[in-house]
Amino acid sequence: MTTDLSDYVASRVAILDRVRQILRDTMKLKIEPEAIDPDAPLFGTGLGMDSVDAVELVVQLDAVFGLELANSPLASTKIRTVNTIVDAIMEVRGES
Amino acid sequence: MSLEAEYRSVRHGAALSRMDHVGLLRLVGEDSIEAVDAVCSGDLWVRDGRMLQTLILDEQGQPIADVYVCPDDDACFLMVEGMTTEDFSARLGRHANPELEIELEDLRHEHELLSLHGPYAWEVLSKWLTPDVIGLPYLSFYRFDRGICFRAGKTGEYGYDLVIRSEDATDARRELLELVNSFGGSEVSLETLDLCALENGFFSVRHGSIEGLTPLELQLQWRISTRKRFPGIEAIEERRARGIRRRLTHFVAREGLNAGDALHGPDARVGEVMTAVFSPGVGGLIGTALLDISVAHPGIDQFFAPNRDSATRIQTVSSPLLVNRSLFVDPHRHTYSTREDATYPPLWQGSLP
Repeated sequence: MTTDLSDYVASRVAILDRVRQILRDTMKLKIEPEAIDPDAPLFGTGLGMDSVDAVELVVQLDAVFGLELANSPLASTKIRTVNTIVDAIMEVRGES
Repeated sequence: MSLEAEYRSVRHGAALSRMDHVGLLRLVGEDSIEAVDAVCSGDLWVRDGRMLQTLILDEQGQPIADVYVCPDDDACFLMVEGMTTEDFSARLGRHANPELEIELEDLRHEHELLSLHGPYAWEVLSKWLTPDVIGLPYLSFYRFDRGICFRAGKTGEYGYDLVIRSEDATDARRELLELVNSFGGSEVSLETLDLCALENGFFSVRHGSIEGLTPLELQLQWRISTRKRFPGIEAIEERRARGIRRRLTHFVAREGLNAGDALHGPDARVGEVMTAVFSPGVGGLIGTALLDISVAHPGIDQFFAPNRDSATRIQTVSSPLLVNRSLFVDPHRHTYSTREDATYPPLWQGSLP
């Protein structure tokens, strides 16, 4: 693996792990973080989050990553899966 | 009707489809949920009037059926893709407690299944049935005089599955199609629905070969229980103990890829293409690849399929690939007739490699 690819993957995995942990804590899930698939839907099907969970998640993402979604019209498109959250965080950090 | 026109119906207006590929069953008896629980992989925590997606796995842990479980008092509706009624009945006989009091009905004998999809599917249905459908929560259902309306769908847009009595089905289909046409839409094929499902990351038993794959590789762990035993659990436990080595990852490309093509990274093979189809929304190929877990992430543009004369690059992406119009269409504020008054973000916001 080239250096830039391995650096990108390492950065992505670090954020992914932290987001999984936040989701696990927010939803009080009794599963290992690795059991939260990166492309699993967070709302409706998938993890079955609701609007209350969404508010808590948005607060946590702002506190931990500085990802400001509270008043964003595109917020619903950024928190559809773990991977879309990681994309948004990497975009804010200029790593995408 | 071209695939592009059908696609536009689903993504921008409203579309009608016959769901002849879906098995429609009703399990009757107060033990019905316990019986379904014995054959399905997920935890069936679902209230009456709601729906839950689960899987049926074979003994190797490979998904062989995609199932909606819909409890209804002392009965349970089941919508099954990938397995015949006879096979489902045989599964029940093999895995459910034989002392359970249940009776399996095949609703296909007296009903048809139609479905509506699209950002304005709710408006079609509110005109055909009742405006009350606007308040029907996702993954729930209710009865009406000619059948049952399930709010579901696997396209990322508003979706409704309508179980309609056979004697009413011809008229219902004609009436719905007239309405759909007035919304600029059409009847759409299973091919179009499968494309839309792929764009939005929905699992389908028809999205290429999944031979030898389990929910661990398919990113379907949310559909398997960590609390109960179910058919296929031994294979999953064994694979989990070994560690997940590959993971299904979505990608886009310009052209020239097919299922089975090997994918290489800068210095080694990284996986293979599982499925690849043209997406009008993306303007190129979309698909899934089974990649080594170490690189199975979105945002990578360094993988390629070596061809005879050149190499086709892919860009791995997050799922869902599209920013669906239905995320922004609010039934309380918008209508199809005023659609031009609103501005919506583009469906596809990425770029092709």
